Amino acid sequence: MRRLLIAALALAVLAAPHARAEDTLNPPRWQSEGVFGSYDIAALQRGFLVYQTVCAACHSASALHYRDLDGIGFSTEQIAALASGVKLASGPATLDDIFKNPYPDTTAAAAAFSGAIPPDLSTIVAARPGGTKYVYRLLTGYAAAPADMTLLPGHYYNTAFPGQQIAMPPPLKDGQVQYADGVTASAAQEASDVAAFLTWASDPNLDASKEIGLRAVLFLVFLSFVAIATKRKIWRESV
Amino acid sequence: MSGTKPWLDTRLPALESFRAFFAAPVLPRERPYLATLPVLITGALIFQVLSGLVLSLFYNPADAYNSIQFIDRNINYGWLIHAFHETGTTMIFGAVFFSLFRALWLRSYKTPGEVLWFFSVAQFGLLLLVGYLGYVLADGTVSYWSLASTVSGAFGLSGFPGAIGVWFFGGADGAGTLARLVVFHAVLALAVFGILFLEYLARRGAEPKVTHGVGLHPYYTSQYFAAFVVFALIFAVLVFFAPHLGENPLNRGPADPLVLPVAVAPPWFLLPVGNVGHVFPGVWGTIFAVLARLAVLVALPWLDRSAPGKPAGFLHKLLLLVLALDVILLTVWAMQPPSLIGEVVAVLLTAYFFFHFLVLLPFFSALEAR
Repeated sequence: MRRLLIAALALAVLAAPHARAEDTLNPPRWQSEGVFGSYDIAALQRGFLVYQTVCAACHSASALHYRDLDGIGFSTEQIAALASGVKLASGPATLDDIFKNPYPDTTAAAAAFSGAIPPDLSTIVAARPGGTKYVYRLLTGYAAAPADMTLLPGHYYNTAFPGQQIAMPPPLKDGQVQYADGVTASAAQEASDVAAFLTWASDPNLDASKEIGLRAVLFLVFLSFVAIATKRKIWRESV
Repeated sequence: MSGTKPWLDTRLPALESFRAFFAAPVLPRERPYLATLPVLITGALIFQVLSGLVLSLFYNPADAYNSIQFIDRNINYGWLIHAFHETGTTMIFGAVFFSLFRALWLRSYKTPGEVLWFFSVAQFGLLLLVGYLGYVLADGTVSYWSLASTVSGAFGLSGFPGAIGVWFFGGADGAGTLARLVVFHAVLALAVFGILFLEYLARRGAEPKVTHGVGLHPYYTSQYFAAFVVFALIFAVLVFFAPHLGENPLNRGPADPLVLPVAVAPPWFLLPVGNVGHVFPGVWGTIFAVLARLAVLVALPWLDRSAPGKPAGFLHKLLLLVLALDVILLTVWAMQPPSLIGEVVAVLLTAYFFFHFLVLLPFFSALEAR
């Protein structure tokens, strides 16, 4: 019976990645979700490609340095090559530069989007209720406005955005990037990947936290058994 | 004589009395695990001071939000220290709320425990203030506006209270105010240790004399250790697997002086008392609401008409459970987005809180005592 259980468990563990690889879009799922969630490096790298190609054209991420990208599995050489392709006012970016801010100041940014300033994306997932899923629903939430709704000038109808009117034009479309790993770059896939990347950007220490946490909790569970047993033994001998 | 004593004892006589204090059989038997809560709170506060000390080395009031991002991302294990400090607050307030409830449950505020009870309420009030200041120091989207309205409220007061507001906050909310609040946050947190010591003295006064007791070591040290490990286990689970429990997610974004957040709920530990503030209008209304909430607690030894030393009856316990439910509902309700029904429910729940202490408790405890 027990052997069967272990076999079933092993099968479930083996099958899980395949199940995930099949369809993470219907319904949208991310490996980082849940108590034991961790980052899917491949999704983060795809998400960074989308971020760099699309999002970075208008959004800043002032808490991130190029060097931080080693956290999503890029080597120093890859990051250096990547950074040197970014033109800052002072010349090509280096590892220790923060992600390029596309606008010199907020006034210029506001002027480009009918007064709305593109928010900094460093903590966007942490700072929005619903986090990763919200970002995904926002990026895939563009639709035709209902007939009885008049949109503000320069605004778009979006089902996920509070108030349903957003100044950001629909950013993603099918095939906007070419994924190196052969995943089909549908708009939904791009949204899912960039949501994964922004989740990492908000909380780059998630994996380390879960790893330390698991050890600490296991140790403390063991220690609490020992401590309670010791206490009971000492008290039993007192009377 | 001195030859029979250990070498160090003759040279450091305090050591002997310390050892006697440790092993003297003066403590009552069968103290429950929950009686370790004050010690656990003290330990958690010490830990909180240490993590706060590390954070204060890197915290910059002139650029508060970004300096916290810097701690989280660029300091070795800065994110962990920050998480310790954040979740430590949750642990301390969890233990404080629980021990207040336990005092209500056991009626330990009755003679001879009144003074101990006053110190517990004072400690609670001071911790709320320290907790609020810490929340404001995060300088997030929500806490920025909370500070802005607090400061403008304080400056709107006239006379002596207004002078205190100016003295405390310095000027219009900004980097200068945060620089002051860092100091107050730390100093007031240290002041909590003073109250904890007074509580310890009062607790010894309220304890009955023990004839056939046991020593602190090894009996209660083993119990404290077991309690501490379980406390640490809960702490570890929260730190690593639910690090932002009871926080408003909006507050993890940067402050924006031009945009008001849609949901303004502070962290959970401020809600049971702070949410009452919305019920009464105006600055004085908020101050009154918070003080009234603490005042009914202070008045508790007299509001409860039962005889001292009498164990709590069924009705008393039932009413307390309803009260606990009332406070929990009020807290959960305050986390929801604002709505008209929410406001009405908050008023009703707040009214019940005062109804419990000012009407139900005196009436039923008098009935029970007859």
